[in-house]
Amino acid sequence: MSGAGPKGPRLGLGLSEDVDLLRFEQQARDVEAAPGPGPATPGEWIRQNLFSGPVNALLTLASGTFVLFVAYQILSFVFVSAEWEVVQVGMRGYMIGGFPVDEAWRVWASAYLVIVLAGLSYGVSARRLRPSAGQAAVGAVVVAVAGTIVFFTAQTVLVRALTAGVAPAVLAGALVGRLFGRKILRPLIVAWVLVFPAIMIVVRGFDGVPPSEWEGLFFNIVAATVGIVASFPLGLLLALGRRSELPAVRVVSVGLIELFRGVPLVAWLIFSKFVVDLVLPPQMVIPDIVKAFVAMTLFSAAYVGEIVRGGLQGVPAGQYEAARALGLSTTRMMALIVLPQALRSTIPAMISHFISLFKDTSLFVAIEVTDLLAAARRSASSLQYFGRDMETLLFAGLIFWAVAFSMSRWSQRLEVRLGVGRR
Amino acid sequence: MADRPATAGIEKAGDDRMIVADDVVKSFGHFQALKGISMALNKAETVVIVGPSGSGKSTFIRTINRLERHDAGRIFVDGIELTDDIRNIAQIRSEIGMVFQSFNLFPHLTVLQNIGLAPRNVRRWPKKKAEEKVMQLLERVGIPEQAHKYPAELSGGQQQRVAIARALAMEPKIMLFDEPTSALDPEMIKEVLDVIEELAESGMTMIVVSHEIGFARHVADRVMLFDDGLLIEEAPPNRFFDDPQHERTKRFLSQIL
Repeated sequence: MSGAGPKGPRLGLGLSEDVDLLRFEQQARDVEAAPGPGPATPGEWIRQNLFSGPVNALLTLASGTFVLFVAYQILSFVFVSAEWEVVQVGMRGYMIGGFPVDEAWRVWASAYLVIVLAGLSYGVSARRLRPSAGQAAVGAVVVAVAGTIVFFTAQTVLVRALTAGVAPAVLAGALVGRLFGRKILRPLIVAWVLVFPAIMIVVRGFDGVPPSEWEGLFFNIVAATVGIVASFPLGLLLALGRRSELPAVRVVSVGLIELFRGVPLVAWLIFSKFVVDLVLPPQMVIPDIVKAFVAMTLFSAAYVGEIVRGGLQGVPAGQYEAARALGLSTTRMMALIVLPQALRSTIPAMISHFISLFKDTSLFVAIEVTDLLAAARRSASSLQYFGRDMETLLFAGLIFWAVAFSMSRWSQRLEVRLGVGRR
Repeated sequence: MADRPATAGIEKAGDDRMIVADDVVKSFGHFQALKGISMALNKAETVVIVGPSGSGKSTFIRTINRLERHDAGRIFVDGIELTDDIRNIAQIRSEIGMVFQSFNLFPHLTVLQNIGLAPRNVRRWPKKKAEEKVMQLLERVGIPEQAHKYPAELSGGQQQRVAIARALAMEPKIMLFDEPTSALDPEMIKEVLDVIEELAESGMTMIVVSHEIGFARHVADRVMLFDDGLLIEEAPPNRFFDDPQHERTKRFLSQIL
């Protein structure tokens, strides 16, 4: 024990090492148990963290100046020099583009369907995951910003009311969800599966609006949903195919992945519109948008396939052996043992890809679809608001970011919930 | 090899031999892991295989339930020859339970689900029957209170006991143990060996690859030494440990005792 103190000589041999280790563990535990030492005053914190040396101080000053400058520029633009009227006038265009105004109720109905479902789901799962103070603060800021935007942009009382109604709808859903709890989990999952077909019927059916007139943010969201929902199972098949023991299946899978991944999405979209007809029989007419959706789905499936393959490689060989030794068939082994583990580990990469896909739906502008971004640019090129690109692009960017950020948050919740029992 | 069991008449019913291996050969690339193993295992018999690492003992028991495909020779399990036919493999696997060195529990499933999975999905038992079986097995391995936990929440010894219960849930006729205590902390080895011993006493037919000499002496009906892909010596435990015949066995025992 002698000489085994933290500062004593370390012999690196037998007993003294062991004792050292014990002592180290004890110290680690003490540190954990003790309230964090922490700086006494804010001034001290700043000195410790930002001005601990001359280089550090210089870096702090330089980056601080830069941040303040950028913040000042942006804030002064947003609150002083910007003229937001262009966004106010263009709002409907950003959201639904040239979607017939008389039919806009179809989009509202669809939006509310999703909103109420989201609220219900939150209510069901929030039983165990209450929002923290930080989450509540973020929520408050979001509500405040969104509220302000709505107040200044809505052009009719009805739209103002419908937009304001989103918050109560989510809240009502959450309360009902909390009331019933996990009892409605199963119907809720079924509802999520059915909601997209339901929306398609609401928008399209009963003398509705054809896909060629779907524009604005509504288009971005529908296209991204189609891409995600369709490319996920396809990508799964490609990943499994790439690991197949049959050489033919393997070669075809690898070939498809490399082919669709190797060409830019925008090129595939143009290709789908102008080239595919050459190889189709002339009496077969497929709407451009459908062909483009297929192209996007194949493109995305190639990425999903590679992401899933990465996840499959992370499943230890022992899992396959245990499943085989129990007599599980290959199909059951994959479905019950391997894929659940593989997919869980791919959530971060998968969500990144899906966020990317959502933003890439802007590329549909290459085949003349007026999505949110295109609508924003268009509204700044009208005679009346010519040159107000800053306002419109800032706003479009904010919307894209808000949707992407929601996806990211949701995926983190998913990770927490599925993380149970990880080793 | 030397004393090859007569393989004639294996196909006949009423044979008491649960496993018969006849000149089994297995290579990985240029490395020959098994150079012709012949042995037979009788019903309700427990054989413990010892040997240095790389001697082929794990590879051998893995060929018995086709986790490794043998290159040459023949293997019979309960009178059925192991072939390439998938249905034949599935049938043989459902008669053999296997316990691994690193447990290989399914980390995304609870203990209850780990054990109930195969009965539900392979044997097609109804949920209630499977759960009753699971609880009965958990009682048997001494951890009924852990049913709803995940593997990561259990100690190594508890995990291995769950793995044993999982293998038993298929009601196998034969159990294979591949170094079941090698990955365990010393204080957890006994609780696992106790379960295996109880199993041996209940009349289960078992092959155990293990370095636990005390356990082998106590539980085994026969002990075998594998070295360099060959079965060097087999004998009842007393003779194997106290009066080994082969030079290689003496050297091995002197190294580990």
